[in-house]
Amino acid sequence: MFKSFRLAMTWVHTWFGLVLGFVLMVVFFFGSLSVFDREIDRWALPETRFEPQVMPSFDTRLGPIFEQIVPDQAELEAARGRVGGALPGALPVMNWSAYTTHRDPVLSLFAEFAVTNNPDDPDDHVHGHVTIDPRTGGILQHDQLEIGSEFFYPMHYSLHLHWLDLGYWIVGLAALTMLAALVSGVVIHRKLFRELFTFRPKKPTQRSTLDLHNLTGVVALPFHFMFALTGLIIFAGVYLPVSETLLKPEALAHARAEAEKNGLPFKPAGRAAALSSVDAMIVEAKRRWAARDMPGEVGFLTVTHVGDVNSYVSVYRAGSDRVTLVGQGVHFEGPSGRVLYEEPPPAVVSAINDFLTGLHLQHFEHWLLRWLYVAGGLSGCVCIATGLVFFVGKRKLRHATRDITGARWVDALAVTAVTGMLLATLALLVANRLLPADLAQRASWEEGVFWSAWLLAFVHAAARSAPAQQARIAPAWREQCWAVVPLAVAAVVLNWITTGDHLLKTVGDGYWPVAGFDLALSGVAVLATLAALQLRRRERSQSKAQAVDAGEPSAGGTPEAAHG
Amino acid sequence: MVDALLLALALACCVYGMAWLALAMRTHWREVRGAQPLSRGNVLRLRVLGALGLLASLLIFLRVDHASMACLLWVMSMIPAVLLLAFTLAWRPRWLSWLVPWVRGHSPGRQAR
Repeated sequence: MFKSFRLAMTWVHTWFGLVLGFVLMVVFFFGSLSVFDREIDRWALPETRFEPQVMPSFDTRLGPIFEQIVPDQAELEAARGRVGGALPGALPVMNWSAYTTHRDPVLSLFAEFAVTNNPDDPDDHVHGHVTIDPRTGGILQHDQLEIGSEFFYPMHYSLHLHWLDLGYWIVGLAALTMLAALVSGVVIHRKLFRELFTFRPKKPTQRSTLDLHNLTGVVALPFHFMFALTGLIIFAGVYLPVSETLLKPEALAHARAEAEKNGLPFKPAGRAAALSSVDAMIVEAKRRWAARDMPGEVGFLTVTHVGDVNSYVSVYRAGSDRVTLVGQGVHFEGPSGRVLYEEPPPAVVSAINDFLTGLHLQHFEHWLLRWLYVAGGLSGCVCIATGLVFFVGKRKLRHATRDITGARWVDALAVTAVTGMLLATLALLVANRLLPADLAQRASWEEGVFWSAWLLAFVHAAARSAPAQQARIAPAWREQCWAVVPLAVAAVVLNWITTGDHLLKTVGDGYWPVAGFDLALSGVAVLATLAALQLRRRERSQSKAQAVDAGEPSAGGTPEAAHG
Repeated sequence: MVDALLLALALACCVYGMAWLALAMRTHWREVRGAQPLSRGNVLRLRVLGALGLLASLLIFLRVDHASMACLLWVMSMIPAVLLLAFTLAWRPRWLSWLVPWVRGHSPGRQAR
């Protein structure tokens, strides 16, 4: 056993951090990118580069488009499998919903269709989805990848591993591990406040790496802790799905009782009725929000039991000046338009949950706070990356003398998780600008490029990490840094060539979603160059020192030659 | 525009506050002021100034935003502030010297950490 509590915590911090550090790196990196997911969407889909729009008229614009939405083909195929045969010719619509944010120029519309011939599940349903230009009502091409909101953001919480919700579970485990690593890190860090500002880049690599690990870990400690915790809270329903399993009847009874208490029809009546003016309902909802000193725009709108006499319309406020989620839903009877129920301020437990969820999901309008979130997320990336580098550095020499390959493989995985992930992300952006706009399954091609590039980065890291086994810096780090530079520059240049939106134009026009992303990519290129140069310097000095130790004349060859 | 300026001012107060708190530590004082001794009075003065800087930062954030948002901004603004100071202390510590104008005399020698 361990001689002291601190040593036990060191073990926990080291090994928990190592095993799930690679996952945490992915979670933090794509979480940081997700702060600006809508802006990255604008970069990736040039036809959506216009100013954010408020929810357009339901009566004249959204209603007719909702009528046109059809079920998703893949979901229909899956439903046929569940039913064990053919589906009815036309599936009745159950619900409609529309979602937008203060950062969205486009609007997402969703529809739910009932699968009426599944005896095992009377509530079985499939979905349909379109994205529209709210200015014209035009439907956008469906198979384009919204890189920010459809790829980077889900990667942050699910790793795109959908089988048995495996990705959610791995990320949840990583978040739990993160909490353990943070607590144990605080215990083992003896000078938490005394070394708050300490970074000594001129000290030996291990010392400066540990300084950077401590600095980025401690300075953003509240951020890291709260985000790991709130991430777990948001997905508590996935990790503890009692309302879908053990307590399903009770959960259903509760939902029914809640709906009855609030006067919201739980089931359709089966008698058709037309919807009255939803625009008038929105005007009334806004009036009520303003009366509560919370004026705002519509962020989410749903129509439940579409076309039925029991239909009702729910109008929710878009996030604005508060951290907490501020839906303040107002529910209207569909056929008459009268108010059925206005949600009161939440009770204490709900308010805490709304605050913690809002803290993580950042629906608020605050650009400075968004950038500070990015700073917190990237400091987490640096903390994890330096932790991995420190782990390897500490064992490299010992493993080299004993001919153990452990440190080498951890180093290769660290290269893959740090620079490799960056390379894959940049490759996806370059592919987004190079692939023909009318290419069938374009989204799948883009995703394929991302995963292939990451796999290639791993192969390269594995092949070029051999020097780590001789206690030297693996050239894979430097080489992948160099590879980042042309890819980042290419993404900026290709954006210019394919859309005409060069930096001078976007900055001049003040179109920051694209200008900001291009500037960030340029910054990545500069940082990667500096990192590569620094790595080359360190490799050379290491080679010289080893040559002197071995009694050889000072090596003048390249690091590659020295690495053999 | 006024809000943007106030937010910039709040960030500046946060950086100043953190800088004074850093200077109240002997290690960082030596990096910035060389061999010049740090008196107990100056330690106290720097700590009070640091706390006031951070307090001013919070009050300005509260002036601009809702309380929940302001508190979150305040905590989050400490991340870039501390990183900025740590990197300045690592590479250009002398730049922080003018933050203590009341301390006369300036030792040019730069001590290794």
